[in-house]
Amino acid sequence: MIFSLLAIVQLCLCLPAQAVAGQDRTSFILNKVDDLWRGESSFAVVSMRVKTEHYTRTMRLEGWSKGKEKTLFRVLEPLRERGTMTLKFGSHIYTYLPKTDRTIRLTSGMMMGSWMGSHLTNDDLVKEARLEDDYKAAITFEGARDGRNIIEFTLVPKPEAPVVWGKLLLTILADGYTPLVERYYDEDMHLARTFTFSDMKMLGGLMRPAALRVEPTDKPDEYTEFIYEQLELNIPVSDAMFSKSSLKRR
Amino acid sequence: MRILTLASRNVRRNWSRSLVTMLAMAFACCIMIFFSSLMEGMIQGSERSVVSMNMGDIQIHAYGYRDDPDLYTRIEHADALVDRLQQEGYHAASRIYAYGLLAANMASSGVHLRGVDLSHEMQVTELYKHVSNGRWLDDADPLGVVLGKKLAGTLGVKLGDELVFVGQSADGYMANELLRVRGILKSVSDGIDRMGVFMPMQTLRELMAMPDGAHEIVVMRADRRTDLVTETAQVARLAPDLEVKNWKQLMPVIARMIETADVQIMIMLVIFYIAVATVVLNAMLMNVFERIHEFGIMKALGVSPMQLVALVFAETFILTLLAAAVGLAGGWWISAYYQQHGIDMSALAGSISYGGIAFDPVWYGAITTSALVYPVLFLFVVAAIAVIYPAARAALLSPVKAIYYR
Amino acid sequence: MNLHKLAWRNIWRRKRRTLITAFSIGFGVMLSVTFTGSGDYTYTNMIDTGASMGMGHVTVEPIGYQLKPTLDKRLTAAGRLRARIAGIDGVSDATLRITGQAMFASARQSVGGGFIAVDPAFETPGNNLLLRSLVEGAMFNDGDGLGIVIGSKLAQRLQVTIGKKIVYTTTDVSGEIVSNIARVSGIFTTGIDMVDGIMVLLPIGSVQKTLNYARDEATVIAVIIRDQRHAEGMRDAIAALPEAAGVAVVTWKQSQPDLAGVIAFDKAGNYISQFLVGLLIAVGILNTMLMSVLERTREFGVMMAIGMAPGTLFRLIMVESFWLAVVGLLLGIIITAPWYYFLYHTGIDFSSAFGTDFSYGGVLVDPVFKARLFKESVMAILGGVFMLSLLAGLYPAWRAGRIPPVESLKTI
Repeated sequence: MIFSLLAIVQLCLCLPAQAVAGQDRTSFILNKVDDLWRGESSFAVVSMRVKTEHYTRTMRLEGWSKGKEKTLFRVLEPLRERGTMTLKFGSHIYTYLPKTDRTIRLTSGMMMGSWMGSHLTNDDLVKEARLEDDYKAAITFEGARDGRNIIEFTLVPKPEAPVVWGKLLLTILADGYTPLVERYYDEDMHLARTFTFSDMKMLGGLMRPAALRVEPTDKPDEYTEFIYEQLELNIPVSDAMFSKSSLKRR
Repeated sequence: MRILTLASRNVRRNWSRSLVTMLAMAFACCIMIFFSSLMEGMIQGSERSVVSMNMGDIQIHAYGYRDDPDLYTRIEHADALVDRLQQEGYHAASRIYAYGLLAANMASSGVHLRGVDLSHEMQVTELYKHVSNGRWLDDADPLGVVLGKKLAGTLGVKLGDELVFVGQSADGYMANELLRVRGILKSVSDGIDRMGVFMPMQTLRELMAMPDGAHEIVVMRADRRTDLVTETAQVARLAPDLEVKNWKQLMPVIARMIETADVQIMIMLVIFYIAVATVVLNAMLMNVFERIHEFGIMKALGVSPMQLVALVFAETFILTLLAAAVGLAGGWWISAYYQQHGIDMSALAGSISYGGIAFDPVWYGAITTSALVYPVLFLFVVAAIAVIYPAARAALLSPVKAIYYR
Repeated sequence: MNLHKLAWRNIWRRKRRTLITAFSIGFGVMLSVTFTGSGDYTYTNMIDTGASMGMGHVTVEPIGYQLKPTLDKRLTAAGRLRARIAGIDGVSDATLRITGQAMFASARQSVGGGFIAVDPAFETPGNNLLLRSLVEGAMFNDGDGLGIVIGSKLAQRLQVTIGKKIVYTTTDVSGEIVSNIARVSGIFTTGIDMVDGIMVLLPIGSVQKTLNYARDEATVIAVIIRDQRHAEGMRDAIAALPEAAGVAVVTWKQSQPDLAGVIAFDKAGNYISQFLVGLLIAVGILNTMLMSVLERTREFGVMMAIGMAPGTLFRLIMVESFWLAVVGLLLGIIITAPWYYFLYHTGIDFSSAFGTDFSYGGVLVDPVFKARLFKESVMAILGGVFMLSLLAGLYPAWRAGRIPPVESLKTI
């Protein structure tokens, strides 16, 4: 299963458009951040590097998306996994495995499993589209920190939301609304994992962070890093691409 | 006075009485033996179901594996250790395990893959005999797997059906493979029934990119009667830095259950023996008390009390000997039959599980020395005790009173 | 001629012999009572516990559920059927339940397990083992709320405590992956690692919503009845209801085959043992009666010489057996009564040997050895002993009638 950087970032930034009264500015800014990434459709080429205690590996993927519900990925490198595809269609996830030439559907049992050996889970992919419904956002800090002007948002899960986190802390640059760091806390408010954005580049016509690093707090030597090589927004892409039957044909 | 001759003549003289007494005792002895053999069989059968099926006597793991079964927590140099153990007289086999998803037709399930070293495993466990449909594994068919009973049901597969496995290999890649159903097991244990997928070890090594090491080594004692604790310590000396535990430590609930079954069986045997004792007692008492008249005459003729007591004991001994011979023969014969064929309870219950392990529904008897010896011994003891009182009575009574004894 | 009076006097001519034989009969009764009674008690206990924890004594379930228990199979209009069932005589309660598999996740870990979605109004520590084993917190009150009761091992692995949240993920009625949140309201420890590490209780209303079931839909209706021996009859009664068309109604023997297996096996073992003991006692009685006949050969000879028919003699011995049996039974009752009273009220506490966490056929077993006989069992035991005694008397009685008078007068 493949994860597009676009989707990951949207994970962080899909924020409630319908903010609570009195938070118009919050939602305005967050929507702006969103606009950096949201398009009707997209195409990207990403490389991913995972370092764990037992292995280090690199992978290169290409991905298409349409809206928030449909995403399709294909592994380009390494050779032995070339052709592996993942299709997300609403809350269904299918994986095509070229070695066995079979498509399987992900079950609830696999949701918490690590995706492609990285530090993200399959569940992260499904949940990202729901972020809007699940959290309430508020600006908790604005000003200078470490020589830069930043805005910090705290996202608290709504009481009925099926998310395991206690809160999320998102830090963006005040100028240009570029995301810097996102921190995930468990219910006891202990930091569980950190997403770090870096390497500003011209991608798809705008300056965006080309690199995202995921670090689990309890294993400081491990990380997963995604690097954008290419990004194009609002490209023509058909619905037919995002169907189960298309998996085999490719 | 030649006591034995007199005794045997007395026995033959009242042949009907003797016969009746003897048969009662022989029958009692026979039943005792059969009962004991059934009880022994139950104990042996239980242990066999637990140990020989899958657990083995002793298991070796890397520390921490049992609490958190991680692919990377391995026993290094497993093959060398297995060879060492074989040299020391044990049977040993190593295994590797992995978790993942198995999909078939419409259904899928989380599974526990078990890579088995076929040649060694056959000497250690009886799993290979436990296939209900299809066949056991074969190295020549690397992608043929054997499924647990309930797993086959959940996935809705039959023999020959295709399975897709997906998991994560040791080097972080997505391991996937097409497998075929080669066999389905009978009920073994909860874990295996619901999630067990057995395959040749080499297949799993390649699938999981794990060329060396093992997760578990199963050890069986060559002689099952040796002390488990000493053997466990011995194995532990051969495998330093590794966790060595015997099945009683790994499955304390079952161990306790079997021990308690032992206690219950003892209680039943005791009660049973008491019932036997009353029968024998009755028989012997009748034998003596109803002849007090006869003993009175003998006393009147000059037989001393001691001689009388000796006579009674001699008669008792002869009767008991004959009864024991017949009882032993009968008991042995019937126990042998049930040792061979067993009482088939499967009509009552397809599967029986205690504490998560499936037990064989056929109840076999087991002829052990204790099943044969104790009943016979018991017979002699009870008969001897039974006649003490009446013999003493008879010996001490004055001849006149004895003759007119009522 | 009054055979009874004669027979009665005859058996008391040899007081000791009669008493010992009677004692062995009595002992057989005690053995039978102990084993049947403890069996009755234990099995009933196990069946009742298994029923309340899982699927009831009688389970109403979707057709095909036994073979493939997936969440898309469910009962519709279950509420109505349930109400009808609750009204049947002999039913102590009926409740809706949803059972299934799910992944449970906290911020730290995720673990696969199983859930039982229940109506908290129905569940009590009396009928639910998990509630009885609560060590922290309490059962949730709201059937539509966000409570969850989990096992201690699961709580450990997920690293959660009371009040913390858990997200459970499962597949809904149309095969979609769905999740919901819940907060731990109670933690239980049954002692069985499997249960403590895997099972949870959820509120049925919330689960219905999550699974996109209708309000009235559930996986099973668990029916608890007052007397577990009537399970089959109850099943037939329920299956006959018009609302029960299109569903399967099974007894606990089918929904919990492991339990049924264990009980059947144990019962069989019990019967075999009792049979052997009975055989033994019969031999003892035979021995006594035969002995008594053999030594009265002369007496019988005289009786026949003065005109007693062999048939009457036969009947006389049979009557003697009968009275011997009566005495034996009386003795049996006398020695067994206090023993039974003890077992009934106090029992022998095996918990030092067992520990308190023992599962037999998948159900927890009470480590105290008690006995509780059903009326039917009592009748069966008394009847059995009687039959045995009479049967044992047959051969001696026959022998008695066969001796020709002249022959008998010759023996000493």
